Amino acid sequence: MGEDEDVLRDWMVAAQAGDRRAYERLLASLVPALRRAARGRWRQAEAADIEDVVQETLLALHAARHLYEPSRPLLPFVFGILRLRGADALRRRYRQSGRERAIDEFSETSSYFATKEEHEDQIDAGTLHATIAELPERQRQAIEMTKMQEMSLAEASAASGMSITALKVATHRGVATLRKLLRGAR
Amino acid sequence: MRMATDELVAALAADLRPVRRIAPVWRRTLMWLLISLPAAGLVAWQAGLRPDLAARLADSRFLLTEVACLLTAISGCYAALCAELPDQRGWKLWLPLAPLALWLGTLGAQCWDVFLRLGPSGLVLTEDTMCLPAIVEGGLVPALVMVVLLRRGGRFRATHACLCGGLAAAAMGAAALQFYHVEDAAIMVIVWQLGAVMLLSLLAGLLGRIFLRPARPPITL
Repeated sequence: MGEDEDVLRDWMVAAQAGDRRAYERLLASLVPALRRAARGRWRQAEAADIEDVVQETLLALHAARHLYEPSRPLLPFVFGILRLRGADALRRRYRQSGRERAIDEFSETSSYFATKEEHEDQIDAGTLHATIAELPERQRQAIEMTKMQEMSLAEASAASGMSITALKVATHRGVATLRKLLRGAR
Repeated sequence: MRMATDELVAALAADLRPVRRIAPVWRRTLMWLLISLPAAGLVAWQAGLRPDLAARLADSRFLLTEVACLLTAISGCYAALCAELPDQRGWKLWLPLAPLALWLGTLGAQCWDVFLRLGPSGLVLTEDTMCLPAIVEGGLVPALVMVVLLRRGGRFRATHACLCGGLAAAAMGAAALQFYHVEDAAIMVIVWQLGAVMLLSLLAGLLGRIFLRPARPPITL
């Protein structure tokens, strides 16, 4: 983490006031320090687990940003979140992996993965396409290019004329709207 | 498969809205006290103050018990609000244990006095079914205010926060009870009043995980 704590604190205060640029800088600066701290704390954890912990910490920091008082140092606040939420994230991950099975154990023709009719209905491709068509123009375009056609962000940006950040935002919002619409359709 | 961390950072920044900063813990504790104290006092006044109240207020043991009870309530609130912040020191979370020990110690000393004077016959336990509902009544408004305060907090250590929050509300109810319920036998107070406070605190701690689930931002991983 290159920046000293006063700079980070200023960015956090600006983020509380809604400054997205300062917030993005703050989070980007915190990520390497969070990774290091997580690796130091959970030495047995794999790289994917550490990334999970870092992401959980960022999400929790986002939800708890109104709790930060500028008169207090920022780093104990952030690392406190890492300590409290990181343990939860790892527990959840280990519980989940305990319930998972290796796919190689089953043959390709195994009926183990056959889904029930009601499950098939939920993921019916026709419904999905129709719902995507209902999305606002920019969100629909972003979803189609980045998710359906699996274009890279750079390719999609060149094809649509949208900036990469705008594409990310439109994709994120598109997925959220899609989820709402699909939930409503059930 | 999760999104990459740099994508998450961009998505979180895109989702950013201005927030109103939460007030410091001491100020929120004061706010809780300013609402809870009159509310508990009103319950005591409505139930009818005990006829020997003037005499009891001149009794140092009664005053010490009452002060310990109120300090348990205040420190319980403070600890509950601290538990919801990620950067608070551990001793603040266990602060209510000190007044709680004083409360229990004061009542224990009174029991010991009675035992020395009257022997085991002085420590007879009878049924007193009004304590639990009376403490619930006196602690209702403090508990509701506490729920509002905790729901605006960070939802870290939810069980601990609810345990301490429940202790604060129940201790406030017990403090009010002393003003209208004529029950001075220390053993009865320990079992029925302190027992009810502990029971309600544990219940609040158990419910904590249900009502204070961690808040999650609307970001897709």
